[in-house]
This record gives sequence, structure tokens and C-alpha cells, in this order.
Amino acid sequence: MKPFSASLDYVGRTVMHYVEEMGRIMTLFFSILFWMMRPPLKARNIFKQMEFVGVKSIFVVVLTGLFTGMVMTLQGYHGFRLFGAETMVGSTVALGMTRELGPVLTSLMVTARAGSAMAAELGTMRVTEQIDALYVMAANPIKHLIVPRVIASVLMVPLLTVVANFVGIAGSYFVGVNLLNINEGDFINNIYKMLELNDIYSGLVKAAFFGLVLSVVGCYKGFNTTGGAEGVGRATTQAVVISSITILVSDYFLTAIMF
Amino acid sequence: MGSITTEAKVGLFILIGMLLLGYMTMQVGQRGVGIKKGYNVDVVFDNVAGLNKYSSVQIAGVEVGRVEDILLKDGKALVRLRITPSVTLEKDVSAAIKTRGVLGDKYIEITPGTRGMAALEPGEQIRNVERQADIDRLLNQISAIADDVKTVSGTLSNVLGGQAGQDSIGGLLENMQALTRNINSLVVSNEATIRSMLLNAQELTNNLNRVVVQNDDKVGEVIENLRGASREMEKTFASFSQIADEVNRGEGTIGQLMKDNTTITNLNKTLASLQEVSDKINQGKGTLGKLVNDEETVNNLNQSLSGINRYVTKAEQFRTFLGYRGEYLWDKSNFKSYLDIKIQPKQDQFYLLGLVSDPRGRLTVRDYTPTGNVTTRTEEWDKSGLLFNVQIGKRFRNVVLRGGILESTGGFGMDYMALNDRLKLTFEAFDFSSDRNAHLKGYADVQLFKYLYLTGGWDDFISNRGNSSGFVGFSIRFEDDDLKYLLTSTPIPK
Repeated sequence: MKPFSASLDYVGRTVMHYVEEMGRIMTLFFSILFWMMRPPLKARNIFKQMEFVGVKSIFVVVLTGLFTGMVMTLQGYHGFRLFGAETMVGSTVALGMTRELGPVLTSLMVTARAGSAMAAELGTMRVTEQIDALYVMAANPIKHLIVPRVIASVLMVPLLTVVANFVGIAGSYFVGVNLLNINEGDFINNIYKMLELNDIYSGLVKAAFFGLVLSVVGCYKGFNTTGGAEGVGRATTQAVVISSITILVSDYFLTAIMF
Repeated sequence: MGSITTEAKVGLFILIGMLLLGYMTMQVGQRGVGIKKGYNVDVVFDNVAGLNKYSSVQIAGVEVGRVEDILLKDGKALVRLRITPSVTLEKDVSAAIKTRGVLGDKYIEITPGTRGMAALEPGEQIRNVERQADIDRLLNQISAIADDVKTVSGTLSNVLGGQAGQDSIGGLLENMQALTRNINSLVVSNEATIRSMLLNAQELTNNLNRVVVQNDDKVGEVIENLRGASREMEKTFASFSQIADEVNRGEGTIGQLMKDNTTITNLNKTLASLQEVSDKINQGKGTLGKLVNDEETVNNLNQSLSGINRYVTKAEQFRTFLGYRGEYLWDKSNFKSYLDIKIQPKQDQFYLLGLVSDPRGRLTVRDYTPTGNVTTRTEEWDKSGLLFNVQIGKRFRNVVLRGGILESTGGFGMDYMALNDRLKLTFEAFDFSSDRNAHLKGYADVQLFKYLYLTGGWDDFISNRGNSSGFVGFSIRFEDDDLKYLLTSTPIPK
């Protein structure tokens, strides 16, 4: 009987662990909201994080968007050619980019670049007791460390998504029209015919949500790091894994709600 | 070269991102530009299966509008179209639902009506609707016909098929045979009677012949009478001819009238003077002539008409909006109020006049340089002072650019309108001065109800005088017609 109860015990503890963690993330989220409302916010801190999350991610995001658009065009072309609808490739890519791939791939890239860095940075500060020092100085670390990162991510990820969308469609145009010789007018017109303003806007709403997810998770993991250098490494890994999974799963539900 | 600041990098990135977003939304939103302003026309179809909202409306393959709404009315489909303002539809146009492409996209094709016919007014209904060749309906009808044929053939087969049918047909043929046999025997047995019948007939014709021969003389008399009558007719015609001759020679009243030369001269004179009058009018002599012939008259008339026209259309285009806006600055725990009048003479441009009550008050800076060359600067905050807004603005699709006096200092602003103007993102920059940072302000307005907007943003966010504060608030904006007529200087009864 002993192994049985032990395994039940293990399952229960694991489940409780995840439920607790979810609860702690939500608590952190509400306290971020609370501190966001407390003036004064230091514009300088926010700009610094915006530069880190947004400006420095442009290159990665441009490359991701460009090649996603190009490869989708190449693959779509072979499929659509079977029934002579090559001109639909552009609109398929445009819809896919604006609705799904733009926001999701951008936020995955930002998670990998900036979300992990947030976890590592805050984790290091935690294990070297700098965060405790902040408490000692009567400065709230949530307000000074986390709020700027969250605000910057929520604002920057949608903007990066815009860049990714544009570059992706441009890449698709280049491959489709210049390399595969699809009729230029039909290609463009089909994009205009299929794409609605709502597609772009809903993609941006998604992106803002993903920005929130990746920054809150990254900061949470970093903020609660324990166990020295090894712990910092673990926190970083977990932050990226949890953010990525949450982004992919919540994308499905957001899509179900929006369309 | 100095290093680029973080703010500059972020600002540049935001600018590029917003430009790309603006470009994409403009490109995507471009279709249907112009159609938005168009007018509504209704069509009723029996069946609109496959037709969607925003389906295309075409004339000769050129898109002239879109389907705005599809409603159910008395068991039929009422389709509301929105047509580009530059296209006029005659009253006798006809509409049909057509299919295009392999995927079977439906669109509405409008066949133009008679040229020069009165145009359809907005909100009217297209009367002529072509019934579409509905395959389902066609198959239904064919199957109904097949059913009918089937019942007929079924009855026939019931009647003819089977032993009973065969028997009755057999009986029929037997009866016919018996009938012909009877007729034959009838003829044979009555041969003598038939022969006497023929003899009687011969006798009758003989008698008739005799009657005609006996009355030969009387027939001749009738013909003679006819001849006499025609002779009398000839005489009557002769006397008619005589009268005509007399008239010709000028005898009798009518003859005199016809033959007298003076009559003709009088007539000629009358016609000549008429001609003269009309010539004079034509040449522009006399009052009437002047009125009719003077180009000026026509020009004046034209000018005054177009003047009236212009005035009326101007008054129609002219729109004024009143707005109030309150912002609660939570860092300052203060309320900042704006009262604006927006005058919009054209769809895409406007003037903005407004008063701002700022809790900080109005700053007055005086430089005083006495003879000692030492400048003393006095800064005064007038708490009760009002600030002014005077701006001109122009709208390019989704982007509004404006500039002028913002809060009593020079500056400019930019609005980005999204979600059918329900969401407005605004950036303003003003109060540029060498000794302090410019006053930058960014906020978003969301339309909650028809006139009520929720607003939130950040005022003076790069202030180096501790002025920076986030705010939330609300604003009320509505159109005012009375003010508009007041502003166009003459009241026009509505």
C-alpha cells in the first residue's frame, strides 16, 4: 500500500505546486497593476526597457518575419499550383502573418531575447541580495524593476509585430512576384480583397497580450529565484518555457474568441 | 558625433512602427474609400443565398458599391446597397445576382437604365429585379413536370394494362366490326329507297331552273333602274364643278375673298411686321429685346444662381462640433478642463478654437533689463488664467495633422483614428522653449456611447519641472446645427 499512497502524494504535491505558482503569478500581476497606478513613474526607466525589448529586437524580428513570409510563399505556391490558384498565395501569407504568425513568432523571439534576460537579470539581483537592498532603501522593487519592463513589453511587442507583418508580406511579395513569377496585380489585389483592418488590429491586440505574458512570467521567475547561479539558470529556462507554452496555448483561445 | 539617446532610439522605432501600421491600414482600408460616403439603394430578391455583407456591386464589371446589409422583409431578402456618390442610377436600372469564379463568389450586377431618365434618390428601391437561374428551382420544376407525366402514364397503364384493359379494347374492336357490318347491310337492304331519293333531287333542280327562266324580264328591269341612278349622280358632280369654277373666277363672296389681292397684301403685311418685331427682339432692340439678348442678363442670372448654390452647399458642408473634455491629473490631484469649438468647413479640414483651464494657471514671464545690463526674469503663475487653443487641421485618411496655438503656446499635434473613428490616439507637442523641455502629451480617446468618450494618457511626460502626470478623464463631443447657421452669418430656416 505504501508505494500507492506515495505516488498519490507525489501527484497531489505536483498539482498543488503548479496551482500555487499560477496563483503567485496572478498575485504578482495584480500588484504590478497596483504599482503602475502609483505615481511617479520614471520615464527614463521605461525608455531604457523599451530600447532593450523593442529597438534591440528589431533585427531578430525582421529576419524571422522575412523568412517566414518567404518560406510560406514557397510552400503555398506548390500547393496552390495544383488547382491553378497561385495568386491566392499572397493573401494566405498576409492573413497568416497578420492574424497568427506575426504576433506569435514575434513574441516567441522577444521571449527568447528579452524575457530570458529579464529572468536572468532579476534572478541575479535576487541571489546577490540587491532586491533585498532595495527593500531596505524603502524602494519597492516591483515598482522600480518590474513595472517598467511590463509597460515596455506591452507597448513594444505590438510594434515589433507590425514590423514583422510588413516585412513578412514584403518577403512574400518578393518571392512570389520576382522568383515564382506570379502575376503582380492579382497577387496584390487578392491581398487587398482578403485582408481586413480587423485582421491587423486583432493581431496587435494578441501581441500586446503576449507582451504582458512574457514580461510578467519572466519577471516572476527572476524575482523568485533561489539557489545561487544554478538557480538563475533554472529560472531563465523556466521563464522561456512557461512563456512560450502560455503564448502558444493562449493564442488558440484568443483566436477562438476573436474570429 | 554624439551618441544617440535611448529616447531618440525608442522614438525613432515607434515612429517607424506607426508609419508601417499607417501604411498597411491605409492600403487595406483603401478599398471602399468613397463608397463609405455613398448613398443607399434597396433591392428585394427572392433568394440571396451566397451573397454576403460587403459583396461587390458592379456595373459592366466596374465596382460601384457594396452590399451594406441584408435583411428579411415579408419573406423576401431586402438587400441594402451603398453606391459611390459619383455614380447615378436611373430609375429603370435592373439588378441581378451573378456568380463569379470557381469558388462561386456572388455579386450584384446592375444593368444601366435609359439614359437621361430621372435618377434614383437615396433610400429608393430598384424595381426591376432579374430572376436568377436557380438550379434548385429548375430541378424542382422539372421534377414536378415528371410527376405529372408519371400520373398520366400511370392512369393510362391502369386503363389499358392488365386483363380488363385488354378485354375492353378487344370488345371495342369487335363492336366496331359489328357496326360496319350493320351499315353495309343497311345500304344493301335499302337500295331501292336510296335510288328514289336521288330521282327526287333531280326533279327539284329542274323545277328551280324553270322559275329562273320565267322571271328573266324582271331582272332586266332592276338593272335598268340602277343605270338611271348613276346618270343622276353624274349631273350632281357637274354642278359641283360649276361652283368651283365660279369661286375661281372671283364671283360670289367666297370667290371675292379668295381672289381679292388686297387680302393677300394685308396678310403679307401682318406677317412682315411680326417678322420685324421678332427681328428686333433678336437684335436686342427695345426692352424685351435687351432683356432677352443681353449676355449680361444671362451671366447675372447664372452667377446669382451659382452663388445661391454655393452658399447652400457651403452651409450644408459646414459642420460645427462642441466639445468638453475633463482630465483628472492624478499626480497633481487636479482637474484640467477643455472647452472646444471645432469648425469643419470641409470633410477633411477644420479649425479648432478652445479654452483650457489648467490648475497650474497661466505662466507669465517678464524679462526686465534695467540700465545695469542685469536681466531679471519674473515668472508669474496666474491661477485663474485661461489658456487658449487656436488650431488648424487637416485629415489624411486615418491621420489628422494639426497645428497652431496649443494651450497658449505654439505647437502641433497628430491624431491617428482607428476602428471607424471610435478610437483616437493623439500626440501633441507644444511650449517649445530653450530653458525647459517641450510639453509633450499623449493620450487615447475611446468612444463609449454616442457623445461620451473615455480618455486616458500622460501629460507633459518629459517635463523637467516635475509637471509630468498621468491622467484619466472623459469628454463629451456633439454636433451643433444652430451654431453652424449662426457662423454662416445668415439664418436659414431648416
